[in-house]
Amino acid sequence: MNPIQNPAGLFDSYSLHSRSLAGPLESRLDALSSAGFGGLMLDAHDVVAHPQGADGVAQALRARGLRADALGTLHDFEGLDGAQHRHKIEVAKGLLETCARLGAPVLVVAASTAPQAGTERSALVRDLHKLAMLAVPLGLRVAYQAVSWARTAPGFIDAWDLVCEADCSNLGLCLDAFHILAGQNPLEDLIEVEPERLFQVRLSDFLWDTLPAPEGQGSHDARVFPGQGAHSEQLADLVMRLARLGWRGHYCLDAPNADHAQLPAAFVMAQARRSAQWLDEDVLHRAAPLPDWTRGDPAAR
Amino acid sequence: MTNPGNAREAVPDMPNRLGLQGIEFIEYATTRPQALGHVLETLGFKPVARHRSREVMLYRQGGMNLIVNAHREDARVSALVGEKPVLSAVAFRVQDALRAHTRCVELGAWPVPSHAQAMELHIPAIHGPGGSRFYLVDRWDEFSIYDIDFKPIPGVDPHPPALAGLDYFGLVQYVDPGRSADWVRYYETMFDFSTLPEDQRYGILPKGRVLQSPCGRFFWQLIEPDPWMESDHAPENLERIGLGTRDVGAAVALLKSRGVEFIETSSLHPEDRGALTRRELGSVSFELVHRQD
Repeated sequence: MNPIQNPAGLFDSYSLHSRSLAGPLESRLDALSSAGFGGLMLDAHDVVAHPQGADGVAQALRARGLRADALGTLHDFEGLDGAQHRHKIEVAKGLLETCARLGAPVLVVAASTAPQAGTERSALVRDLHKLAMLAVPLGLRVAYQAVSWARTAPGFIDAWDLVCEADCSNLGLCLDAFHILAGQNPLEDLIEVEPERLFQVRLSDFLWDTLPAPEGQGSHDARVFPGQGAHSEQLADLVMRLARLGWRGHYCLDAPNADHAQLPAAFVMAQARRSAQWLDEDVLHRAAPLPDWTRGDPAAR
Repeated sequence: MTNPGNAREAVPDMPNRLGLQGIEFIEYATTRPQALGHVLETLGFKPVARHRSREVMLYRQGGMNLIVNAHREDARVSALVGEKPVLSAVAFRVQDALRAHTRCVELGAWPVPSHAQAMELHIPAIHGPGGSRFYLVDRWDEFSIYDIDFKPIPGVDPHPPALAGLDYFGLVQYVDPGRSADWVRYYETMFDFSTLPEDQRYGILPKGRVLQSPCGRFFWQLIEPDPWMESDHAPENLERIGLGTRDVGAAVALLKSRGVEFIETSSLHPEDRGALTRRELGSVSFELVHRQD
């Protein structure tokens, strides 16, 4: 592996979805921290697969000085009744407890694709509100993510409307660029979103110039890092709009695909670094990475 | 209950959907029940009853019930923090405990499994901040929960009067940075608490956000660390009990004569609005607050 080149912590402000890398979690974490990345979004599968579970993962993160930025993913949660709702509440509680043990501040909830999910607004809002309340005593936040083929919130603006209506300070939005591209969501709608309620932004490009197929058929296999697919211009547009909105969080790079699944983590991390560099230099034109204390200071923009 | 005038003039009403009627008891968990008992007695609390099956003691003065829980499993939280007593539970008086509990759980509260033994009362509870519990009690009017689970201590007045008319004014909860709004929403949702305007403050530590119970009988103060403070990594917790009195000066004088020490610095000292006792046993302090009514 190349020696660490991380001038003034450029990559520290980026995060990576753990599913972008293959191999045992600890070697993935090694690759991540060797590449200079500061944190990651953990897939709950990775946590349960660890021999020591959440506590073991938390320890592995601490040992490498890495942040757990978020835990994913609660699926098909909202819009259910009776026994199905009660079951999903228990699932949600299990994931929230995992989140707390990991020290990850945010649980990501993907909009429901279950055919059984109702779409009545008041029921969806009630369920999201309930989830936010479950998260309060644990000190956690909940990020609701649109899924382009979801019944409940196919576009990010649909997800945002539900989040606003539920009106809890610890309930916010997760933007997933992949679903924004797939659903052809108008980026002008981003102006509606309050940056402080935007808890996660996940960026992936799509390898092919045809849009990702609905229902997600094969779409996971073609997600690549930003700047390395056919939709870089739209991603650049998205990132610029978020910068103008005043969002200052960690971008989470997300590129699960069949190629990455059979390549060494260090190799894939080199791609991730190129992607972060593309975002920093070619898109955001950050002259030099600013130290942390300047973040959020309007004078430092 | 609908008043047509309200609709016409948009007068906000204060919903109280649980029928909250004040605080039934506050509980400390501790591995040092005698030491804590001694501190409480200087404050005017008297031991009046003992739990039938566990190492739990009921202290009382006036309308205030205070439980010292040294039951091994419950006191573990205290052992975790260097044997300091921990405010481990607050019990709210409600109209119908079971209905209140069901409603809270429906809205996203975490239910606490019951540990009641045979012939003991099951008091429904939900999780509060930092491992504490909120109990929901509806048997406080005609007969009390203590009649069933506790044995009175022989020869002791079961209803000792309160020193200087002290009563429960409220609780102070420490919250993590940026978390006040989350807790405000939580208390609004679960208990119909409402936020007081910024300029309405009580006591001598007018920090943070103050919520009022819908029954108007007690207050809940949320305090975040100041932005310039180094993070102490302390978990969120119930920090102290506020005691109301109509005459702070008289209460301070009386308590001082009983050995209670107050914080007296240039910025913080007993005055008409309130006073703060020195911490005992590493964590136990009380705030006296002037009650205006």
